[in-house]
Amino acid sequence: MTPATSYDLVVIGSGPAGQKAAIQGAKAGKRVALIEQTREVGGACVYHGTIPSKTLRETALKMVQFLHATDVFDFRMRDDLKIASLMTRLDTVTRAHGEFIKEQITRNGIDLFHGRARFLSDREVQVRGLDGNTTTLTASILVIATGSRPRVPDHIPIDHEHILDSDSILSLVYFPKSLTVLGGGVIACEYASIFALLGVQVTMIDTADRPLKFLDPELTDQFCDAFEKTGGHYRGQQKIQHAKWDGFSKVTLLLESGETLESEKMLVALGRVANIEHLNIQAAGLTPTPRGLIAVNEHCQTTAPHIYAVGDVIGPPSLASCSMEQGRRAVCHALGLNSGDAPEHIPMGIFTIPEMSSVGLSEQDARGKYGGALVGRARFHEIARGQISGMTNGLLKMVADAKGEKLLGVHIVGEGATELIHIGQMGLLHHIEIDRFVDNIFNFPTLAEAYRIAALDIAKQRQR
Amino acid sequence: MTLPSTIPARQEESETLRTRITTRLEEGTVDLPLLPMVATQVLQISRDPEAEINKLSALIQQDQALAGQILRIANSAAYAPRSPIVSLQQAISWLGMNMLAGLAFSVSVQSGVFNIKGYEKNVRALWHQALATGLYGKEIARRKRHNVENAFLCGILHTIGKPLLIHLILQDNSASPSHPSWAVMEAVMQEFSIMAGTKLAAAWQLPESVQEAIHFYPDGAYHQATSPTKGAMITCLADHLATAIIDPASLDEDAMRALPVVQDLNFYPEDMDAIFELHDTIQESIEAFLV
Repeated sequence: MTPATSYDLVVIGSGPAGQKAAIQGAKAGKRVALIEQTREVGGACVYHGTIPSKTLRETALKMVQFLHATDVFDFRMRDDLKIASLMTRLDTVTRAHGEFIKEQITRNGIDLFHGRARFLSDREVQVRGLDGNTTTLTASILVIATGSRPRVPDHIPIDHEHILDSDSILSLVYFPKSLTVLGGGVIACEYASIFALLGVQVTMIDTADRPLKFLDPELTDQFCDAFEKTGGHYRGQQKIQHAKWDGFSKVTLLLESGETLESEKMLVALGRVANIEHLNIQAAGLTPTPRGLIAVNEHCQTTAPHIYAVGDVIGPPSLASCSMEQGRRAVCHALGLNSGDAPEHIPMGIFTIPEMSSVGLSEQDARGKYGGALVGRARFHEIARGQISGMTNGLLKMVADAKGEKLLGVHIVGEGATELIHIGQMGLLHHIEIDRFVDNIFNFPTLAEAYRIAALDIAKQRQR
Repeated sequence: MTLPSTIPARQEESETLRTRITTRLEEGTVDLPLLPMVATQVLQISRDPEAEINKLSALIQQDQALAGQILRIANSAAYAPRSPIVSLQQAISWLGMNMLAGLAFSVSVQSGVFNIKGYEKNVRALWHQALATGLYGKEIARRKRHNVENAFLCGILHTIGKPLLIHLILQDNSASPSHPSWAVMEAVMQEFSIMAGTKLAAAWQLPESVQEAIHFYPDGAYHQATSPTKGAMITCLADHLATAIIDPASLDEDAMRALPVVQDLNFYPEDMDAIFELHDTIQESIEAFLV
């Protein structure tokens, strides 16, 4: 039997959370092992999630921009253009990103193990390679960062050919004529809006009355308007009885109302589940929550204090940005390093078409917490840059306290929302008052001017 | 003993054929057979996002032999219809659009230009292997979240160069009173089938990912393929599995698990267990498919 190899830190999973945890450990001078079950490093974020969907989105947007510029360019889309052309670019981007991460891991002197990890005890992890051979690693600190995968509902037979999930949707080599998207969350909305923009007839089905319920309704209203304009439909308050491939040419969906919907393909985006099934966490003294997650405290410590869990495996918010920070902070905590103040205002970016982003309190929460709120709005089509860029939708909504002095939240829908939000985030972090946005000079013409206009809108209400 | 006298004769025959085929393939003087009309139309329909199932149905109805085969397959145990399938429309409905497209393509190619007199059994074995590769390819792709339809097409066409070579050899040999032995044919196919298949795939304007799979499916070559569908790599493993299903004596699960392609696909032992478990299902499907 090969003796166990000893490390200071063993990280399981090389997605955003695992990477940052491993790098933080290495930067602190510790001997670090990183275990990854796939050949590539980077996790689902790089190969099935954040990076591919955003790449597909960018490519689709560029294509549509070209199509809208036919009065300027002598441009015509090839008749045989297939999704494969888009996917080739996606392949290039993900490969480059994966290589970059690998290089970073190597540069930091982290030992990378390719295989499936399984706890033997609370300090021992067995790595089983593709050939079935095993290696045992021991460490005084362990970080679980195994991520998540699409949930497979019992009543929907996902075959990855006709009924797809958010992993297999990226394998399409042609655009279906129609697509039913089950779900109203981030992944469902992102893919639904991309495919609708590309000319696919998309219908979203969800139990909620509107998609992305956690967002400000003014944002989702604009999203729904834009989605409808590209031919998409959102069907809320619907319960699914079952879905099946009819064995012929279409997927049929039976709703509890008795209505049947048909489409060429179906995307099932009804949540994600944590990847813990191979981990044997019970051997480490851990028990999954009823939702199949790993429970942690505010430092991402599990019930075994030297074992941390970070990223999707601990549940929401399941944002790559948060996962990275969780990974870094968990290792800082484990090593007794100062990790700085806990981030107060984490922005949420949703890469739908149009983009949506949010930071701080919603209007409703502000009213509840502060007994009132003033809200300022700036519509992109009223801003010079918005007019230049031909933006027909877009809204920046600024939430202030009842006196209209203190900035409490910013909510944006429209192109550039996920970048623009960071001004609001900095404002919140540094407690910048509403008047500072009025006095400040932004580049002209830019969308940042929306902050000034929204602040003026608040100031105007305050003066009454 | 006859062995010493036949081997030089076979070597000489093989050498002559090799020289002729090399010259014809390298100089591009091969008179490539046209893709049968039905297969051409099937490909066009399956590539056309606007195409309706009715078009495919109408096409199949024009070809009596093809329609008959589809009815037979739809009624077979592999597709287990709830009640006997008595009409073409019913058969089409039961088999599904994609299966039907692949099937129509396969059947029309088989019964078309590659219906080679004197070698029917051998050519049938080649198709048997190609179909098994297509069916295994689907399952591998499903497991890897790659495109399932593309993997099937890559599989059924990956050895298209083999029947083409038989066709060429017979053309060249038409003046001779006897056909070359199958052993000689096999030797030539072993050496030239990929080159021949690549040329044929280009001439037939098969999808790029399929052309790539034909060219790069062998062990050690699939790394040169660039298609995101990973058709070449999937076809490589599917081809090994198909060979084992045709010749069960050759199935050595341990050897199969040790193939480099298994690791390159990032298949863990449990992934291979799941693929091996599909043996009977795939065997039934092959029997249903075969003409």
